Amino acid sequence: MAVDLSVNKGKLKLKNPILTASGTFGYNFEYGRFVNVASLGAIVTKAISLEPRPGNDWQRICETYGGMINSIGLENVGIKKFIEEKLPFLIKGNVDFIVNLAGASIDEYVQLAQICEANNINAVELNVSCPNVKSGCLEFGTDETVLHNLVSQVREVYSGCLIVKLTPNVTSVEKIALAAQDAGADAVSAINTVKGLSVKIRYINGKFQKETVQGGLSGKAVKPIALGVVNRISQVLDIPIIGIGGIYSLDDVFEFLSVGADAVQIGTANFTHPDISERLIEELKDFMESNGFQSLNELKEKLRGE
Amino acid sequence: MVVPKQNKSHKARITEASKVSRTLYYIKFKPETVFESKPGQFVSIFCPDHTLRRPFSIASLENNEIGVLFKKKGSGTEYIAGLKTGDTIDFLGALGNGFKFDINKKSLLIGAGVGVAPVYYLQTEIQNAGGNSRLIAGFMSKDEIPSNLSFDEVCTNDGTFGLKGSILDYVEQEIETYKPDVIYSCGPHIVLQKISETSQKYNIPCYVALEKVMACSIGVCRGCVIKLQKNGKIVNASVCQDGPVFKGDEIVWQ
Repeated sequence: MAVDLSVNKGKLKLKNPILTASGTFGYNFEYGRFVNVASLGAIVTKAISLEPRPGNDWQRICETYGGMINSIGLENVGIKKFIEEKLPFLIKGNVDFIVNLAGASIDEYVQLAQICEANNINAVELNVSCPNVKSGCLEFGTDETVLHNLVSQVREVYSGCLIVKLTPNVTSVEKIALAAQDAGADAVSAINTVKGLSVKIRYINGKFQKETVQGGLSGKAVKPIALGVVNRISQVLDIPIIGIGGIYSLDDVFEFLSVGADAVQIGTANFTHPDISERLIEELKDFMESNGFQSLNELKEKLRGE
Repeated sequence: MVVPKQNKSHKARITEASKVSRTLYYIKFKPETVFESKPGQFVSIFCPDHTLRRPFSIASLENNEIGVLFKKKGSGTEYIAGLKTGDTIDFLGALGNGFKFDINKKSLLIGAGVGVAPVYYLQTEIQNAGGNSRLIAGFMSKDEIPSNLSFDEVCTNDGTFGLKGSILDYVEQEIETYKPDVIYSCGPHIVLQKISETSQKYNIPCYVALEKVMACSIGVCRGCVIKLQKNGKIVNASVCQDGPVFKGDEIVWQ
Protein backbone atom coordinates (compact mmCIF):
# COMPACT_ATOMS: atom_id res chain seq x y z
CA MET A 1 0.00 0.00 0.00
CA ALA A 2 1.25 3.45 -0.89
CA VAL A 3 2.11 5.60 2.10
CA ASP A 4 0.77 9.11 2.43
CA LEU A 5 3.69 11.51 2.78
CA SER A 6 1.65 14.65 2.34
CA VAL A 7 1.60 17.65 4.63
CA ASN A 8 -1.71 19.42 4.77
CA LYS A 9 -1.96 22.08 7.42
CA GLY A 10 -3.85 25.26 6.61
CA LYS A 11 -2.36 26.76 3.49
CA LEU A 12 0.79 24.67 3.77
CA LYS A 13 0.16 21.85 1.33
CA LEU A 14 3.08 19.65 0.33
CA LYS A 15 3.21 16.26 -1.36
CA ASN A 16 6.01 15.26 0.99
CA PRO A 17 7.91 16.92 3.85
CA ILE A 18 11.36 17.15 2.20
CA LEU A 19 12.12 20.60 0.82
CA THR A 20 15.36 22.24 -0.23
CA ALA A 21 16.47 25.45 1.46
CA SER A 22 16.87 28.85 -0.10
CA GLY A 23 20.31 29.64 -1.44
CA THR A 24 21.39 26.02 -1.69
CA PHE A 25 19.39 24.85 -4.69
CA GLY A 26 19.27 27.65 -7.25
CA TYR A 27 16.09 28.87 -8.93
CA ASN A 28 14.82 25.79 -10.70
CA PHE A 29 16.63 22.90 -12.37
CA GLU A 30 20.25 23.54 -11.41
CA TYR A 31 20.21 20.25 -9.47
CA GLY A 32 18.31 18.44 -12.21
CA ARG A 33 21.36 16.37 -13.03
CA PHE A 34 21.37 14.92 -9.50
CA VAL A 35 17.72 14.66 -8.47
CA ASN A 36 14.26 14.61 -9.94
CA VAL A 37 13.40 18.14 -8.83
CA ALA A 38 9.68 17.57 -9.34
CA SER A 39 9.75 14.76 -6.77
CA LEU A 40 10.64 17.13 -3.92
CA GLY A 41 8.10 18.46 -1.44
CA ALA A 42 9.12 21.87 -2.74
CA ILE A 43 12.22 23.77 -3.61
CA VAL A 44 12.68 27.14 -1.98
CA THR A 45 14.27 29.48 -4.49
CA LYS A 46 17.33 31.53 -3.87
CA ALA A 47 16.34 34.78 -2.13
CA ILE A 48 14.96 37.21 -4.66
CA SER A 49 15.01 40.98 -4.31
CA LEU A 50 13.23 43.71 -6.23
CA GLU A 51 16.35 44.66 -8.19
CA PRO A 52 19.19 42.32 -9.14
CA ARG A 53 21.97 42.26 -6.55
CA PRO A 54 25.66 41.64 -7.22
CA GLY A 55 26.33 40.27 -3.73
CA ASN A 56 29.40 40.71 -1.57
CA ASP A 57 32.99 40.98 -2.65
CA TRP A 58 35.72 38.41 -2.45
CA GLN A 59 35.92 35.60 0.09
CA ARG A 60 32.32 34.54 0.48
CA ILE A 61 32.55 31.07 1.94
CA CYS A 62 34.68 29.11 4.32
CA GLU A 63 34.46 25.62 5.76
CA THR A 64 34.31 25.42 9.53
CA TYR A 65 34.18 22.51 11.92
CA GLY A 66 30.92 20.72 11.14
CA GLY A 67 29.73 23.32 8.71
CA MET A 68 30.47 26.41 6.73
CA ILE A 69 30.13 30.17 6.90
CA ASN A 70 28.73 32.11 3.99
CA SER A 71 28.59 35.76 3.20
CA ILE A 72 27.11 35.74 -0.29
CA GLY A 73 25.24 39.00 0.19
CA LEU A 74 22.04 37.91 -1.53
CA GLU A 75 23.44 37.85 -5.05
CA ASN A 76 20.39 37.22 -7.24
CA VAL A 77 18.82 38.00 -10.60
CA GLY A 78 15.98 40.15 -9.24
CA ILE A 79 12.24 39.44 -9.36
CA LYS A 80 11.72 40.59 -12.96
CA LYS A 81 14.23 38.19 -14.44
CA PHE A 82 13.02 35.44 -12.10
CA ILE A 83 9.46 35.80 -13.32
CA GLU A 84 10.50 36.01 -16.96
CA GLU A 85 13.29 33.45 -17.13
CA LYS A 86 13.10 31.05 -14.18
CA LEU A 87 9.42 30.74 -13.30
CA PRO A 88 8.25 29.30 -16.65
CA PHE A 89 10.58 26.31 -16.21
CA LEU A 90 9.29 25.64 -12.71
CA ILE A 91 5.72 25.63 -13.98
CA LYS A 92 6.50 23.61 -17.10
CA GLY A 93 8.52 21.10 -15.08
CA ASN A 94 5.71 20.60 -12.58
CA VAL A 95 7.96 21.62 -9.70
CA ASP A 96 6.41 22.60 -6.39
CA PHE A 97 8.23 25.71 -5.28
CA ILE A 98 8.30 28.48 -2.72
CA VAL A 99 9.73 31.85 -3.66
CA ASN A 100 12.07 33.30 -1.06
CA LEU A 101 11.78 37.08 -0.88
CA ALA A 102 14.31 39.55 0.48
CA GLY A 103 13.56 43.24 0.79
CA ALA A 104 15.45 46.21 2.11
CA SER A 105 12.24 47.93 3.28
CA ILE A 106 8.67 46.93 4.08
CA ASP A 107 7.64 48.60 0.88
CA GLU A 108 9.99 46.38 -1.11
CA TYR A 109 8.59 43.22 0.51
CA VAL A 110 5.07 44.40 -0.28
CA GLN A 111 5.97 45.06 -3.91
CA LEU A 112 7.62 41.65 -4.17
CA ALA A 113 4.56 39.97 -2.65
CA GLN A 114 2.27 41.84 -5.06
CA ILE A 115 4.29 40.58 -8.00
CA CYS A 116 4.05 37.02 -6.65
CA GLU A 117 0.30 37.40 -6.15
CA ALA A 118 -0.11 38.71 -9.70
CA ASN A 119 1.83 35.73 -11.03
CA ASN A 120 -0.20 33.17 -9.09
CA ILE A 121 2.74 31.99 -7.03
CA ASN A 122 1.35 29.59 -4.42
CA ALA A 123 3.84 30.13 -1.64
CA VAL A 124 6.46 32.64 -0.55
CA GLU A 125 9.00 32.57 2.24
CA LEU A 126 10.04 35.92 3.68
CA ASN A 127 13.75 36.15 4.34
CA VAL A 128 13.66 38.40 7.37
CA SER A 129 16.74 36.87 8.88
CA CYS A 130 19.61 37.05 6.45
CA PRO A 131 22.53 38.21 8.55
CA ASN A 132 24.68 39.18 5.60
CA VAL A 133 23.24 42.39 4.32
CA LYS A 134 24.11 45.40 6.40
CA SER A 135 21.08 47.42 5.41
CA GLY A 136 17.70 46.24 6.48
CA CYS A 137 17.45 42.48 6.56
CA LEU A 138 18.55 41.79 10.09
CA GLU A 139 16.17 44.22 11.82
CA PHE A 140 12.95 42.73 10.44
CA GLY A 141 13.48 39.37 12.05
CA THR A 142 14.92 40.57 15.34
CA ASP A 143 12.21 42.99 16.47
CA GLU A 144 8.71 41.60 16.99
CA THR A 145 6.99 44.95 16.37
CA VAL A 146 8.79 45.54 13.09
CA LEU A 147 8.22 41.94 12.03
CA HIS A 148 4.53 42.11 12.88
CA ASN A 149 4.21 45.25 10.80
CA LEU A 150 6.05 43.67 7.87
CA VAL A 151 4.08 40.42 7.87
CA SER A 152 0.74 42.23 8.26
CA GLN A 153 1.43 44.44 5.27
CA VAL A 154 2.56 41.52 3.11
CA ARG A 155 -0.50 39.55 4.25
CA GLU A 156 -2.77 42.31 2.96
CA VAL A 157 -1.52 41.92 -0.60
CA TYR A 158 -0.69 38.22 -0.73
CA SER A 159 -3.27 35.45 -0.51
CA GLY A 160 -1.05 32.39 -0.96
CA CYS A 161 0.87 30.45 1.66
CA LEU A 162 2.96 33.00 3.55
CA ILE A 163 5.97 31.55 5.34
CA VAL A 164 8.30 33.56 7.57
CA LYS A 165 11.85 32.30 7.93
CA LEU A 166 13.11 32.94 11.43
CA THR A 167 16.58 33.93 12.50
CA PRO A 168 18.09 32.25 15.57
CA ASN A 169 20.06 35.43 16.31
CA VAL A 170 17.50 36.77 18.78
CA THR A 171 16.86 36.70 22.50
CA SER A 172 13.31 35.37 22.41
CA VAL A 173 12.48 33.47 19.26
CA GLU A 174 9.06 32.63 20.71
CA LYS A 175 8.05 36.30 20.71
CA ILE A 176 9.20 36.72 17.11
CA ALA A 177 7.41 33.55 16.00
CA LEU A 178 4.20 34.65 17.72
CA ALA A 179 4.43 38.06 16.04
CA ALA A 180 4.61 36.31 12.65
CA GLN A 181 1.62 34.13 13.50
CA ASP A 182 -0.44 37.01 14.85
CA ALA A 183 0.30 39.03 11.72
CA GLY A 184 -1.17 36.30 9.56
CA ALA A 185 1.71 34.04 8.56
CA ASP A 186 0.62 30.56 7.44
CA ALA A 187 3.83 28.89 8.58
CA VAL A 188 7.31 29.61 9.85
CA SER A 189 10.59 28.06 8.83
CA ALA A 190 13.48 27.85 11.26
CA ILE A 191 16.31 28.44 11.32
CA ASN A 192 18.25 30.72 9.05
CA THR A 193 22.02 30.76 9.51
CA VAL A 194 23.69 31.54 12.80
CA LYS A 195 25.95 34.58 12.89
CA GLY A 196 29.57 33.61 13.06
CA LEU A 197 33.14 34.37 12.13
CA SER A 198 35.83 32.12 10.75
CA VAL A 199 39.41 33.11 11.38
CA LYS A 200 42.29 31.28 9.76
CA ILE A 201 45.84 32.18 10.68
CA ARG A 202 48.99 31.09 8.92
CA TYR A 203 52.54 31.95 9.87
CA ILE A 204 54.47 32.47 6.66
CA ASN A 205 57.97 33.93 6.32
CA GLY A 206 57.91 35.45 9.78
CA LYS A 207 54.50 37.06 9.35
CA PHE A 208 50.99 36.17 10.43
CA GLN A 209 48.46 36.01 7.62
CA LYS A 210 44.86 36.24 8.71
CA GLU A 211 41.88 35.25 6.59
CA THR A 212 38.41 35.89 7.91
CA VAL A 213 34.89 35.24 6.70
CA GLN A 214 32.10 36.80 8.69
CA GLY A 215 28.62 35.59 7.89
CA GLY A 216 26.09 32.88 8.52
CA LEU A 217 27.04 29.49 9.90
CA SER A 218 25.19 26.47 8.52
CA GLY A 219 25.59 22.72 8.36
CA LYS A 220 25.73 19.96 10.96
CA ALA A 221 27.12 22.30 13.61
CA VAL A 222 23.88 24.28 13.82
CA LYS A 223 21.51 21.32 14.18
CA PRO A 224 21.24 21.50 18.00
CA ILE A 225 20.51 25.22 17.76
CA ALA A 226 17.83 24.58 15.14
CA LEU A 227 16.26 21.75 17.13
CA GLY A 228 16.21 24.01 20.17
CA VAL A 229 14.45 26.77 18.27
CA VAL A 230 11.89 24.43 16.68
CA ASN A 231 11.19 22.85 20.04
CA ARG A 232 10.67 26.23 21.70
CA ILE A 233 8.42 27.75 19.05
CA SER A 234 6.36 24.58 18.71
CA GLN A 235 5.26 25.11 22.33
CA VAL A 236 3.66 28.45 21.43
CA LEU A 237 2.60 28.25 17.77
CA ASP A 238 -0.51 26.85 16.11
CA ILE A 239 0.77 27.31 12.57
CA PRO A 240 3.04 24.69 10.98
CA ILE A 241 6.81 24.77 11.33
CA ILE A 242 9.38 23.85 8.70
CA GLY A 243 12.60 22.76 10.37
CA ILE A 244 15.98 23.69 8.87
CA GLY A 245 19.50 23.22 10.12
CA GLY A 246 22.13 20.57 9.54
CA ILE A 247 19.84 17.84 8.20
CA TYR A 248 21.95 15.11 6.60
CA SER A 249 20.05 11.91 7.37
CA LEU A 250 16.65 10.36 7.98
CA ASP A 251 17.45 10.36 11.70
CA ASP A 252 17.94 14.12 11.51
CA VAL A 253 14.53 14.44 9.81
CA PHE A 254 12.94 12.37 12.60
CA GLU A 255 14.58 14.55 15.24
CA PHE A 256 13.01 17.67 13.74
CA LEU A 257 9.60 16.03 13.33
CA SER A 258 9.77 14.81 16.93
CA VAL A 259 10.17 18.34 18.32
CA GLY A 260 7.36 19.85 16.32
CA ALA A 261 8.42 20.33 12.70
CA ASP A 262 5.81 19.46 10.06
CA ALA A 263 8.33 19.46 7.21
CA VAL A 264 12.03 20.10 6.77
CA GLN A 265 14.38 21.87 4.42
CA ILE A 266 17.71 20.46 3.33
CA GLY A 267 20.32 23.18 2.92
CA THR A 268 24.07 22.87 3.20
CA ALA A 269 23.85 19.08 2.80
CA ASN A 270 22.98 19.67 -0.87
CA PHE A 271 26.53 20.92 -1.33
CA THR A 272 28.05 17.85 0.28
CA HIS A 273 25.67 15.31 -1.27
CA PRO A 274 23.79 16.86 -4.21
CA ASP A 275 21.33 13.97 -4.43
CA ILE A 276 20.48 13.90 -0.71
CA SER A 277 17.02 15.51 -0.91
CA GLU A 278 15.53 12.87 -3.19
CA ARG A 279 17.37 10.13 -1.34
CA LEU A 280 15.78 11.22 1.95
CA ILE A 281 12.30 11.02 0.40
CA GLU A 282 13.06 7.45 -0.70
CA GLU A 283 14.44 6.54 2.71
CA LEU A 284 11.42 8.04 4.46
CA LYS A 285 9.05 6.16 2.18
CA ASP A 286 10.95 2.90 2.71
CA PHE A 287 10.99 3.35 6.47
CA MET A 288 7.27 4.02 6.59
CA GLU A 289 6.42 1.12 4.29
CA SER A 290 8.54 -1.40 6.11
CA ASN A 291 7.32 -0.29 9.53
CA GLY A 292 3.65 -0.03 8.74
CA PHE A 293 3.14 3.71 8.91
CA GLN A 294 0.36 4.77 6.57
CA SER A 295 0.69 8.52 6.82
CA LEU A 296 3.19 11.15 7.79
CA ASN A 297 0.76 12.36 10.44
CA GLU A 298 0.79 8.94 12.05
CA LEU A 299 4.59 8.93 11.99
CA LYS A 300 4.73 12.41 13.56
CA GLU A 301 2.32 11.41 16.31
CA LYS A 302 4.42 8.38 17.19
CA LEU A 303 7.61 10.44 17.09
CA ARG A 304 6.08 12.97 19.48
CA GLY A 305 4.74 10.29 21.76
CA GLU A 306 1.18 11.49 21.23
CA MET B 1 28.85 0.38 -20.81
CA VAL B 2 26.36 3.19 -20.45
CA VAL B 3 27.67 6.73 -20.67
CA PRO B 4 26.12 8.54 -17.71
CA LYS B 5 25.05 12.15 -17.61
CA GLN B 6 28.24 14.02 -16.74
CA ASN B 7 28.27 15.69 -13.33
CA LYS B 8 26.41 12.90 -11.58
CA SER B 9 28.16 11.81 -8.45
CA HIS B 10 30.43 8.87 -9.19
CA LYS B 11 32.05 6.16 -7.16
CA ALA B 12 35.60 5.38 -8.14
CA ARG B 13 38.35 3.05 -7.03
CA ILE B 14 41.84 4.39 -6.36
CA THR B 15 44.26 2.68 -8.72
CA GLU B 16 47.39 4.57 -7.74
CA ALA B 17 48.33 6.81 -4.83
CA SER B 18 51.78 8.23 -4.43
CA LYS B 19 53.80 11.10 -3.08
CA VAL B 20 55.48 12.56 -6.13
CA SER B 21 57.55 15.30 -4.51
CA ARG B 22 58.24 16.73 -1.07
CA THR B 23 54.98 18.68 -1.25
CA LEU B 24 52.84 17.05 -3.94
CA TYR B 25 50.69 13.95 -4.14
CA TYR B 26 49.20 12.16 -7.13
CA ILE B 27 46.23 9.85 -7.13
CA LYS B 28 44.60 8.02 -9.98
CA PHE B 29 41.09 6.69 -9.74
CA LYS B 30 38.82 4.73 -12.00
CA PRO B 31 35.07 5.42 -12.05
CA GLU B 32 32.62 2.57 -12.61
CA THR B 33 31.24 4.29 -15.69
CA VAL B 34 32.80 5.91 -18.75
CA PHE B 35 34.29 9.26 -17.85
CA GLU B 36 34.79 12.14 -20.24
CA SER B 37 36.53 15.42 -19.59
CA LYS B 38 38.45 18.29 -21.15
CA PRO B 39 41.67 19.84 -19.87
CA GLY B 40 40.88 22.63 -17.41
CA GLN B 41 37.83 20.84 -16.04
CA PHE B 42 37.87 19.61 -12.47
CA VAL B 43 36.49 16.96 -10.16
CA SER B 44 35.12 17.54 -6.68
CA ILE B 45 35.98 14.88 -4.13
CA PHE B 46 33.92 14.11 -1.04
CA CYS B 47 35.95 14.02 2.17
CA PRO B 48 34.23 12.23 5.07
CA ASP B 49 33.36 14.48 8.02
CA HIS B 50 33.75 17.57 5.86
CA THR B 51 30.99 19.86 4.66
CA LEU B 52 32.62 20.95 1.44
CA ARG B 53 33.96 18.73 -1.30
CA ARG B 54 37.46 19.52 -2.49
CA PRO B 55 37.90 20.59 -6.12
CA PHE B 56 40.93 19.42 -8.15
CA SER B 57 41.93 20.08 -11.73
CA ILE B 58 42.22 16.93 -13.75
CA ALA B 59 45.88 16.29 -14.55
CA SER B 60 45.40 13.23 -16.74
CA LEU B 61 42.77 10.94 -18.18
CA GLU B 62 43.94 7.66 -19.62
CA ASN B 63 42.07 4.35 -19.91
CA ASN B 64 39.23 5.88 -17.91
CA GLU B 65 41.63 6.60 -15.06
CA ILE B 66 41.52 10.16 -13.75
CA GLY B 67 44.75 11.62 -12.36
CA VAL B 68 44.81 14.40 -9.82
CA LEU B 69 47.86 16.28 -8.51
CA PHE B 70 47.48 18.02 -5.17
CA LYS B 71 49.12 19.58 -2.18
CA LYS B 72 48.23 18.84 1.45
CA LYS B 73 46.68 22.08 2.62
CA GLY B 74 44.36 21.00 5.41
CA SER B 75 42.35 18.12 6.79
CA GLY B 76 40.47 17.50 3.51
CA THR B 77 43.58 16.98 1.43
CA GLU B 78 45.08 15.11 4.39
CA TYR B 79 42.30 12.54 3.93
CA ILE B 80 42.90 12.29 0.21
CA ALA B 81 46.65 11.98 0.70
CA GLY B 82 45.93 9.06 3.02
CA LEU B 83 43.97 7.10 0.42
CA LYS B 84 45.45 3.82 -0.78
CA THR B 85 45.09 1.73 -3.91
CA GLY B 86 41.78 -0.10 -3.75
CA ASP B 87 40.02 2.53 -1.61
CA THR B 88 36.79 4.00 -2.91
CA ILE B 89 36.01 7.68 -3.32
CA ASP B 90 32.91 9.65 -4.21
CA PHE B 91 33.40 12.49 -6.67
CA LEU B 92 31.49 14.87 -8.91
CA GLY B 93 32.65 15.73 -12.39
CA ALA B 94 33.83 16.57 -14.81
CA LEU B 95 32.89 20.11 -13.81
CA GLY B 96 33.51 23.56 -15.25
CA ASN B 97 34.23 24.80 -18.74
CA GLY B 98 37.79 23.71 -19.51
CA PHE B 99 40.34 25.14 -21.94
CA LYS B 100 39.40 25.61 -25.57
CA PHE B 101 42.33 24.84 -27.80
CA ASP B 102 43.14 24.90 -31.48
CA ILE B 103 45.83 22.52 -32.68
CA ASN B 104 46.68 24.89 -35.52
CA LYS B 105 47.89 27.47 -33.01
CA LYS B 106 51.19 27.49 -31.15
CA SER B 107 50.28 27.21 -27.50
CA LEU B 108 52.52 28.26 -24.63
CA LEU B 109 51.51 26.50 -21.43
CA ILE B 110 52.71 27.87 -18.11
CA GLY B 111 52.21 26.06 -14.81
CA ALA B 112 53.31 27.27 -11.41
CA GLY B 113 53.52 24.82 -8.51
CA VAL B 114 50.53 22.50 -8.19
CA GLY B 115 49.00 24.61 -10.99
CA VAL B 116 50.91 22.50 -13.50
CA ALA B 117 48.10 19.91 -13.30
CA PRO B 118 45.58 21.30 -15.83
CA VAL B 119 48.21 22.58 -18.25
CA TYR B 120 49.95 19.20 -18.15
CA TYR B 121 46.65 17.60 -19.20
CA LEU B 122 46.24 20.28 -21.87
CA GLN B 123 49.74 19.57 -23.21
CA THR B 124 48.89 15.86 -23.43
CA GLU B 125 45.68 16.55 -25.33
CA ILE B 126 47.20 19.09 -27.74
CA GLN B 127 50.10 16.79 -28.53
CA ASN B 128 47.86 13.73 -28.90
CA ALA B 129 45.88 15.74 -31.43
CA GLY B 130 49.07 16.61 -33.32
CA GLY B 131 49.31 20.26 -32.22
CA ASN B 132 52.29 22.36 -31.25
CA SER B 133 52.65 23.30 -27.61
CA ARG B 134 55.37 24.06 -25.09
CA LEU B 135 54.94 23.53 -21.37
CA ILE B 136 57.07 25.42 -18.88
CA ALA B 137 56.76 24.86 -15.17
CA GLY B 138 57.96 26.75 -12.12
CA PHE B 139 58.56 25.44 -8.60
CA MET B 140 60.11 26.85 -5.47
CA SER B 141 62.76 24.17 -5.33
CA LYS B 142 63.91 20.93 -6.97
CA ASP B 143 62.32 18.76 -4.26
CA GLU B 144 58.86 20.11 -5.18
CA ILE B 145 58.95 18.96 -8.80
CA PRO B 146 56.53 16.04 -9.32
CA SER B 147 58.57 13.02 -10.36
CA ASN B 148 55.83 11.56 -12.56
CA LEU B 149 55.34 14.55 -14.88
CA SER B 150 57.64 15.95 -17.54
CA PHE B 151 57.96 19.50 -18.83
CA ASP B 152 59.71 21.23 -21.70
CA GLU B 153 61.39 23.63 -19.32
CA VAL B 154 61.52 23.92 -15.56
CA CYS B 155 62.63 26.76 -13.36
CA THR B 156 63.11 26.83 -9.61
CA ASN B 157 63.13 29.91 -7.42
CA ASP B 158 66.21 28.70 -5.57
CA GLY B 159 67.99 27.48 -8.69
CA THR B 160 68.31 23.88 -7.49
CA PHE B 161 66.96 22.61 -10.81
CA GLY B 162 66.67 24.03 -14.33
CA LEU B 163 66.56 27.76 -14.79
CA LYS B 164 67.04 29.83 -11.67
CA GLY B 165 64.31 32.22 -10.66
CA SER B 166 60.57 32.67 -10.67
CA ILE B 167 58.58 31.51 -13.67
CA LEU B 168 57.59 35.13 -14.14
CA ASP B 169 61.23 35.96 -14.96
CA TYR B 170 60.95 33.75 -18.06
CA VAL B 171 57.56 34.57 -19.52
CA GLU B 172 58.77 37.39 -21.79
CA GLN B 173 61.76 35.38 -22.94
CA GLU B 174 59.51 32.41 -23.77
CA ILE B 175 57.12 34.63 -25.70
CA GLU B 176 59.96 36.10 -27.73
CA THR B 177 61.65 32.82 -28.57
CA TYR B 178 58.67 30.44 -28.90
CA LYS B 179 56.33 33.07 -30.39
CA PRO B 180 53.06 31.53 -29.22
CA ASP B 181 49.66 32.38 -30.68
CA VAL B 182 47.97 31.70 -27.36
CA ILE B 183 48.96 31.27 -23.71
CA TYR B 184 47.36 29.00 -21.10
CA SER B 185 48.26 29.12 -17.46
CA CYS B 186 47.44 27.91 -13.98
CA GLY B 187 49.06 28.77 -10.68
CA PRO B 188 48.82 31.20 -7.78
CA HIS B 189 46.54 34.18 -8.29
CA ILE B 190 49.34 36.75 -8.41
CA VAL B 191 51.32 34.70 -10.95
CA LEU B 192 48.29 34.45 -13.22
CA GLN B 193 47.68 38.16 -12.96
CA LYS B 194 51.27 38.92 -14.02
CA ILE B 195 51.18 36.40 -16.87
CA SER B 196 47.91 37.86 -18.05
CA GLU B 197 49.39 41.37 -18.01
CA THR B 198 52.48 40.25 -19.90
CA SER B 199 50.33 38.50 -22.53
CA GLN B 200 48.32 41.67 -22.98
CA LYS B 201 51.52 43.61 -23.53
CA TYR B 202 52.39 41.25 -26.37
CA ASN B 203 48.80 41.16 -27.56
CA ILE B 204 48.56 37.40 -27.19
CA PRO B 205 45.30 35.90 -25.92
CA CYS B 206 45.76 34.33 -22.51
CA TYR B 207 43.50 31.86 -20.70
CA VAL B 208 43.94 31.09 -17.03
CA ALA B 209 42.43 28.43 -14.77
CA LEU B 210 41.50 29.91 -11.38
CA GLU B 211 41.25 28.30 -7.99
CA LYS B 212 38.71 29.29 -5.35
CA VAL B 213 37.04 27.71 -2.33
CA MET B 214 33.79 26.19 -3.59
CA ALA B 215 30.63 24.89 -1.95
CA CYS B 216 28.19 23.56 -4.54
CA SER B 217 30.64 23.37 -7.49
CA ILE B 218 27.76 23.77 -9.98
CA GLY B 219 27.16 27.54 -9.98
CA VAL B 220 24.29 27.58 -7.49
CA CYS B 221 25.61 28.88 -4.20
CA ARG B 222 27.55 31.86 -5.61
CA GLY B 223 30.33 31.18 -3.13
CA CYS B 224 33.22 31.22 -5.62
CA VAL B 225 32.22 34.29 -7.57
CA ILE B 226 34.75 36.62 -9.19
CA LYS B 227 34.25 39.78 -11.23
CA LEU B 228 34.73 40.00 -14.98
CA GLN B 229 34.86 43.03 -17.18
CA LYS B 230 32.81 42.36 -20.29
CA ASN B 231 31.86 45.00 -22.85
CA GLY B 232 32.59 47.75 -20.35
CA LYS B 233 30.37 46.19 -17.69
CA ILE B 234 31.41 44.48 -14.47
CA VAL B 235 29.64 41.14 -14.10
CA ASN B 236 29.82 38.24 -11.64
CA ALA B 237 31.06 34.86 -12.75
CA SER B 238 31.32 31.66 -10.75
CA VAL B 239 34.69 29.96 -10.93
CA CYS B 240 33.03 26.53 -10.71
CA GLN B 241 30.46 26.88 -13.47
CA ASP B 242 31.44 29.82 -15.70
CA GLY B 243 35.12 28.92 -15.17
CA PRO B 244 37.49 27.79 -13.90
CA VAL B 245 39.04 28.93 -17.20
CA PHE B 246 38.71 32.62 -17.99
CA LYS B 247 40.26 34.97 -20.47
CA GLY B 248 42.96 36.77 -18.51
CA ASP B 249 42.11 40.24 -19.74
CA GLU B 250 38.46 39.88 -18.69
CA ILE B 251 39.24 39.16 -15.04
CA VAL B 252 39.01 42.02 -12.57
CA TRP B 253 42.12 41.12 -10.59
CA GLN B 254 41.90 41.95 -6.91
